[in-house]
Amino acid sequence: MMLKNNSFSKKESRLYMSFMHVTFAALLVGGLMGLLQVLSRSGKFQLPFGINYYTILTVHGVILGLVLTTFFIIGFQFSLMGKTVGISDQQRKWGWVSFWTMLVGTITAAITILVGEANVLYTFYAPLRAHAAFYIGLALVIVGSWIAVFVNFRQLYVWKKANPGQKSPLLSFMVVINMAMWFIASLGVASSVLIQFIPWSLGYAATINVLLSRTLFWYFGHPLVYFWLLPAYMAWYAIIPKIIGGKLFSDSLARLSFILLLMFSIPVGFHHQLTEPGIDPTWKFIQVALTFMVVIPTLMTAFSIFATFEITGRRKGHKGLFGWFRHLPWKDVRFLAPFIGMVAFIPGGAGGIVNASHQMNTLIHNTIWVTGHFHLTAATTVILTFFGIAYWLVPHLTGRRLTPKLNKLGIIQTIIWTVGMTIMSTAMHIQGLLGGPRRSDFSNYAGGEQVSTWISYQMAQAIGGTILFIGIILMVYIFIQLAFFAPRGVQEYPIAEEEIDADPTPKILENWYLWIGITIALILFAYTIPVIDIIKHSPPGSLPFDWPIGR
Amino acid sequence: MAKGNSKKRPQVTADSGINLKGTFISVMLLGVFILVLWFGLYALFLSR
Repeated sequence: MMLKNNSFSKKESRLYMSFMHVTFAALLVGGLMGLLQVLSRSGKFQLPFGINYYTILTVHGVILGLVLTTFFIIGFQFSLMGKTVGISDQQRKWGWVSFWTMLVGTITAAITILVGEANVLYTFYAPLRAHAAFYIGLALVIVGSWIAVFVNFRQLYVWKKANPGQKSPLLSFMVVINMAMWFIASLGVASSVLIQFIPWSLGYAATINVLLSRTLFWYFGHPLVYFWLLPAYMAWYAIIPKIIGGKLFSDSLARLSFILLLMFSIPVGFHHQLTEPGIDPTWKFIQVALTFMVVIPTLMTAFSIFATFEITGRRKGHKGLFGWFRHLPWKDVRFLAPFIGMVAFIPGGAGGIVNASHQMNTLIHNTIWVTGHFHLTAATTVILTFFGIAYWLVPHLTGRRLTPKLNKLGIIQTIIWTVGMTIMSTAMHIQGLLGGPRRSDFSNYAGGEQVSTWISYQMAQAIGGTILFIGIILMVYIFIQLAFFAPRGVQEYPIAEEEIDADPTPKILENWYLWIGITIALILFAYTIPVIDIIKHSPPGSLPFDWPIGR
Repeated sequence: MAKGNSKKRPQVTADSGINLKGTFISVMLLGVFILVLWFGLYALFLSR
């Protein structure tokens, strides 16, 4: 695989860095909102200036769950494509169109939320109604991301034309898989926003089919979490081995794992709607079974990571059953942060299996267990891996170096994050099992007996959340250093190579028609009949509700 | 890139019988963790 070893051109770097600037600005704003939430839910503090709890909750979810992740992922993936298959001037210009469209959409949605016109949380469930500008802003973010999708597709296409018969570089293959998944999935939420929400919020449609809107949201919402996770997997498969001084474990295994994730990430949205009336239990069961298929590529990934660590360690001469583990580069933050992310995915993934287990979902549905779950998966596994990437990507783009001092600060940041999240997420999980609700503002619920068991966990969440906010301030400081002040130099862009004698990757793994065809077939199988049922047999649609937490 | 088999193989490769006992034990422990958590919560579900 021929890779560009040199740095990007200035024009290229500027595009990729623009996405990073928005990412870390979003981290600061969204993190502050998280701090206000946990303090408010502790019952010891009241939000100042009459700020509505649901305003900050919506900002937190939208800015961190949708904006930070999407900007980081698209910027990182553009850099991966630029590094592995190259980018033309015209493609780069379209990259800018993508960036500005997403930014205009983000600012539109953010202002609408901040002025109190969209307290509908990041899931924007109907019949809560936001101002149309909120939905239009979100639609622009998605349209902007679609421009990036097609630029990435085009980049690989041009490379394939120039390199007939050669397999695509692994990371470009992974980016295209992730963008294919994102495009197919976001069609659901985009159609819901354009056809249902915008006319309804503008008053052109009197009512909305609530169940259909929620179904289309979760058709998108579950693959959304895989859209966050796959770039972390890209780093685990193809970047971490280079950082620890090893080689790619298996190109074929990595590609197969991504193909399986493409196929089984989308036709599974009903596992978020297991308590929802109006969906035939048979179809819920089918989608639960499809959900469990995701366990296969996930465990393949775990096996591959362990094997990479062990092979690398043994080649370096480390003996014993776990000698290879002790000698991993623990003092290198480019490794440590993603590694903690991997560890967090063990309870995170196991908790996800519980969530998706049909009847057992009633144990945790709408409790703060779920919030604890996605703060492990998204806010630890994914985010710590993204931080781990930023430590080398940002200085690579700005022509600076990750100095030993910044590396040390990064390690401290990782430890702060780990401690804060362990306290906050564990407390959320336990409180959820005790029946504590998610989403809602602080309340003593008229002094119920069960409620008295929750408050100590809410205090623990406030402590954990405060520690996490300290971690956010430190991370933003490190980002600013890496972007503007660190010493000039060359920071490696680490991409692992294959073994010299690696077995050839089967050509079928690059048969896009086959894999996308199976993906679409699975989606049609899992959704066609229930969606027809939902449209034909729904109760009358709902009028908009601006109360109690909407506008 | 896939290379021809005529190249000299290095001493140890990913598929040449390297000791992966640690990996095997690690993934088994991972499986046990998943099962313990799942059955623990299943018991809680049944008890309610």
